[in-house]
Amino acid sequence: MFICAVSLALFWMAAFTLWWQMHAWRTPETLASTRFDRPDGGGRLAFSLLLPARHEQAVLEHTIERLLESSHRDYEIIVIVGHDDPGTAEVAERAAARAPGLVRVITDHNEVKNKPKALNTALPHCRGDIVGVFDAEDQVHPELLSHVDHAFRATGADVVQGGVQLINFHSSWYSLRNCLEYFFWFRSRLHLHAEKGFIPLGGNTVFVRTEVLREAGGWDPNCLAEDCDLGVRLSSAGKKVVVAYDSDMVTREETPGSLVSLLKQRTRWNQGFLQVYRKKDWQRLPGRGQRWLARYTLMTPFMQATSGVVIPVNFAVAVLLDVPVGIAIVTFLPMITAMVTFVFEVVGLHDFGRQYGMRVRFTHYAKLVAGGPFYQVMLAGAAIRAVWREQRGRSDWELTSHTGAHLAGALASAATGRDSAVGGPAPTHVSASVTSREDSHQ
Amino acid sequence: MRIPAQRRGAADTASTLPARRGGPVRFRSSRPDLLLCGALLLAIVLVQGWNITNFPTLSDDEGTYLAQAWAVQQGRGLAHYTYWYDHPPLGWIQIAGLTYLPSLFVPDSMTVAPMRFSMLAVSAASAVLLYVLARRLRLPRWAAGLAMGLFGLSPLSVVLQREIFLDNIAVMWMLLAFCLAASPSRHLWHHFASGLAAATAVLTKETMLVVLPALLVTMWRHSHRDTRKFAVTGAVTACALIGLTYPLYALLNAELLPGSGHVSLVDGITYQMGRAGSGFILDPGSGSHGVFESWLYYDTVLPLGGLAGAVLLLTTTRWSVTARALAGPALAAVILGLVALRPSGYLPAMYVIQALPFLALVLAGGAASVTHAVLRRRRAPGERRVLAYGRWALVGVLAAAAAAYVLPRWYDGNRTALTVDANAPYRQAAAWLGREVPDPASTRVLVDDALWLDAVHHGFAPGPGAIWFYKADLDPAVTKTLPRGWQDIDYVVSSPTVRRDAVTLPNVKAALEHSTPVAVFGEGEDRIEIRRTDRVANGS
Repeated sequence: MFICAVSLALFWMAAFTLWWQMHAWRTPETLASTRFDRPDGGGRLAFSLLLPARHEQAVLEHTIERLLESSHRDYEIIVIVGHDDPGTAEVAERAAARAPGLVRVITDHNEVKNKPKALNTALPHCRGDIVGVFDAEDQVHPELLSHVDHAFRATGADVVQGGVQLINFHSSWYSLRNCLEYFFWFRSRLHLHAEKGFIPLGGNTVFVRTEVLREAGGWDPNCLAEDCDLGVRLSSAGKKVVVAYDSDMVTREETPGSLVSLLKQRTRWNQGFLQVYRKKDWQRLPGRGQRWLARYTLMTPFMQATSGVVIPVNFAVAVLLDVPVGIAIVTFLPMITAMVTFVFEVVGLHDFGRQYGMRVRFTHYAKLVAGGPFYQVMLAGAAIRAVWREQRGRSDWELTSHTGAHLAGALASAATGRDSAVGGPAPTHVSASVTSREDSHQ
Repeated sequence: MRIPAQRRGAADTASTLPARRGGPVRFRSSRPDLLLCGALLLAIVLVQGWNITNFPTLSDDEGTYLAQAWAVQQGRGLAHYTYWYDHPPLGWIQIAGLTYLPSLFVPDSMTVAPMRFSMLAVSAASAVLLYVLARRLRLPRWAAGLAMGLFGLSPLSVVLQREIFLDNIAVMWMLLAFCLAASPSRHLWHHFASGLAAATAVLTKETMLVVLPALLVTMWRHSHRDTRKFAVTGAVTACALIGLTYPLYALLNAELLPGSGHVSLVDGITYQMGRAGSGFILDPGSGSHGVFESWLYYDTVLPLGGLAGAVLLLTTTRWSVTARALAGPALAAVILGLVALRPSGYLPAMYVIQALPFLALVLAGGAASVTHAVLRRRRAPGERRVLAYGRWALVGVLAAAAAAYVLPRWYDGNRTALTVDANAPYRQAAAWLGREVPDPASTRVLVDDALWLDAVHHGFAPGPGAIWFYKADLDPAVTKTLPRGWQDIDYVVSSPTVRRDAVTLPNVKAALEHSTPVAVFGEGEDRIEIRRTDRVANGS
C-alpha cells in the first residue's frame, strides 16, 4: 500500500511537471504566442538599463558597447560598481565619458556586497519608465529594447521577462542537461507561469516598470534568489507579467565551468527558493490554484530530489521483492513518466539545435539520456545541501566558477560573474579560450 | 460546403489544412451535427438492439471472452482457466467493467445472450466517434452522417457488432485515437492521448497493431509544422510505453519466455502466428474464402466498395483534397485488406470488424468527392441555370441509383437480424441442464464456452464441473482431474463447435462416442445434443 501511494504521488508529480514543462508546445497557437510581436517602430518608453559589475573590467566595455548599438532611441545605461573595485570603475567611467548622457556610473558603498544591494543602490537614480537588468557579460541583441518596448505597450504589462539561454551544450554531459533546462524553462515553462499569474522571474533580461519596482521596494537584499522573490512579490501584488522568447533575441550565457560550481549554484537557487517560500509572500496570491502552483514551484527542487532518490528504490522494490503483479505495475508508473520526459527532452534537444543553428550529434542525445540519472543525483545533492545550509543559518553567497571566455576570444576574463536565481550563471559566449572566473559577492 | 475538394498545393496542405478558414468543426456546439448524429444513433441502437439475443448464433468466442470477464469480476484471475496469453487481457477486463453493474443486480444474466446488450454501448460510442472523426476529417455533414449510417446499419455491421467480440471494443479505442489525432486544436496532450488510446486498442485486440501506421499518417497530416515533432513523438512514446506494460506483466509473472511448467507470452505469440493458415482468400476452396463469402453474404457494398474506394483515394492523393484528408483511413483499409490477402494467414470471421469504420469513412468520403465534383467542378461564376439544375439532377440520379442498389439488400439482411431466432437450441439446452440434472454440484459436464456460464449459473462447479470441452484435453490442471478419461465425465453437450473440434481432442471424442443423446434441440448441423455418457447409464 505504502509503495503504491508513493508511486502514485511520484507519478502525479512527474506528470504535472511534464505537463507544465511542455506548455509552449501545447498547441501551435500557444507556441506562436511565446514569441515577441514585431515592434511597430514607435518606441516611446524610456529605459534605464542596470548593469551591476564587479571585477569585470575585461568584459564590461564590450557589453556597454553592444548595448549602445541598440536600435532603441531612449535609454540610459547605469553601471553599478563597488567602492572597492577601482578597475571596473575605471572602465565604467571611461565608457561614461565616451557616451555622455547615455552611460552613468553609480558607486555601491555597501560593506557587504551582493547583486540585490547593488541594484537597490541604483534604483533611485533611474530616470526611465522601465528598469532593465543585465549582467555585465550579457550580449544584448540590438533589437531587444524595441521589442520589449512594444511588448509593454501592446500588452499593458508591468513586467517583461525576456529569454536567457545557456548555449554551450557540447561542453560536457552536465552542460548539455543544464542548457536544456534553460531551454525548457524560458522557452516553455515561464510562459505558463506568466499565464497563471505566478512567476519566479529570471535575474537578467528582465524589465520592470520603474514605479512598480519602487512601489514594491526594490529587491530583497538578503535573499539568495532576489529575482525569484521579486517575481513572487509582484505576482502577489497582481502585476501583469509577460514573457517573450525569441531564439535570435535571447541573452546567451554559458554553463558553470565545473560540476562542483554547478552544484553550488544550484544549492544557492534552492536555498533562495526556500527563503522565498518561507517569506510567505506567495500566500497573498488571490487564486487557490495560483497558491498551489507557487507552493509546488518553490518546492520543486526538493520534490525533484526526493523523486531522484525514491524512483530507484521503488524500482528495486518492484523487481526484487515479491509483490503482487498489480502493485508492481503501479510502481512502474513513475518510470513511465520519466521515460516520457526523457523522450521529450531528446526532442527538445533537437529543437534547441535547430533554433540555434547548432549541430546536435547522436552522442549528444546518448549523453542526454545516459546523464539523466546522474544529473538527478546532482540535483538531489544540491537540494539536500540547501536544506542543510538553510537549517544552519548559512546564507552567504557561495562561489561559482565558470569556464570559458567569450567575445570572439578577445576578452579573456578573470573577473566576477554574478549569478541569479533563475536567470542563470555568469554568461559568456561560446569561444575557444578557457579561463576560470569566480563569483565573489562578499 | 466548400470543404472536400478545395484546391491546394500538396506540399503546404499538411500544415495548413487544419488551419483553414471557416475554422475547425466543433461538434459539441453544433446543433445540426448533434441532431443528425443523435437521430442516426437512435436508429443504429434500435436496429442493433432489436432481437440482439436471438441473432446471430451464440459463438464460442463470445462465450470465451464473457467467461473470462466473469473470472475477472469474480476475482479468479484473468481467465476461468489458466490465462495463457492468447490475447492481451485488456479486452475482457473492459467487458468485465461493462457488464459489472447488470451482473451485480441480476447475477444469472451474466451469460452470452443478455450480455450482448453491453455491446450496444460500444457500438453507440464507436458510431458517434466515427461521426466526429468524419467531421474532423472535414467531410460535409451529410457525408459524415452517411459514414455513420454505413458503419452502424450495414447488415454486416449489425451482425458482427452485436457479438461480444474484442474487435468491437478495440475499434472503439482506435476510433478515439483517430479522433484525437485529428484534434482541431492540435493539442499536444490530445496527440499524446491518441497514443494512449491506440495502445489501449492494441492491448484490447492485438491485430489493431497493423492500423497504427494509418493513425500516424493521420496525426502527421493534422499536426502543425511547428509542434509536430513533439506531438508525434509524444504519441508514439505514449503508445509504446503503454503497449510495453503487457510484456512487462508477463515478465513480472516470470511468463515472458517459454519454459517448462508454465505458460508464456512468447508461446502465446508463437501460437497465434503459427495458427494453421486458412488459405488464400480468393481461392474458392479455402477456409478464408468461406469467411470472405460469409461477409459478402451480409453486405458487398461496404467491404468491396470501401476497399476499391480506399485504393482509389490512395492513388489520387496528389489531386484530391478529400483523398488527402482521408489518407489515414484509406491507408488503414488498404493495410487491412493486404493483411487479409496473405496466402498463408489465418482469417477469423471477426477480422473484418476492424476495417468497417474505415471502409465506411472512405465510402462516404468518395461519395462526398463525387458529389462535389458533379456540383462544383469547372463551375463559372455566371453559370447558366439549366446547367446548375443539370448538375443537381445528376447528383439525384446517382444517389437514387446507389440507394436502389443498396437498400433492398440491406433491408433483407437487417430483416433477418431483426426477426430470426437462431439461439433457441442453446436456450433450451441451457434450460434443460438447469432443470433435469439432479445434482449439478457433483456432476461433470463438457460444454462449449457459449454455454459454460449458463452451466455455472445452474450450479455446476466452474472449472472441473462445468468443463470447457477444450480443457478436458489441453489443460493439464483439468486432465489431472480426469484420470479415467471420458469415464469421469457425466454429460457432454454436443454443439456444432464441439463436434467440429472433437476430432483433435481424444477425451472429448471418446466422451462423444461413449454417450447417448438424452435431449436434442434444433435439427441438422446446428442441433445441440445433450448426451449422457454410458458410465452414468451403466451406473458405474
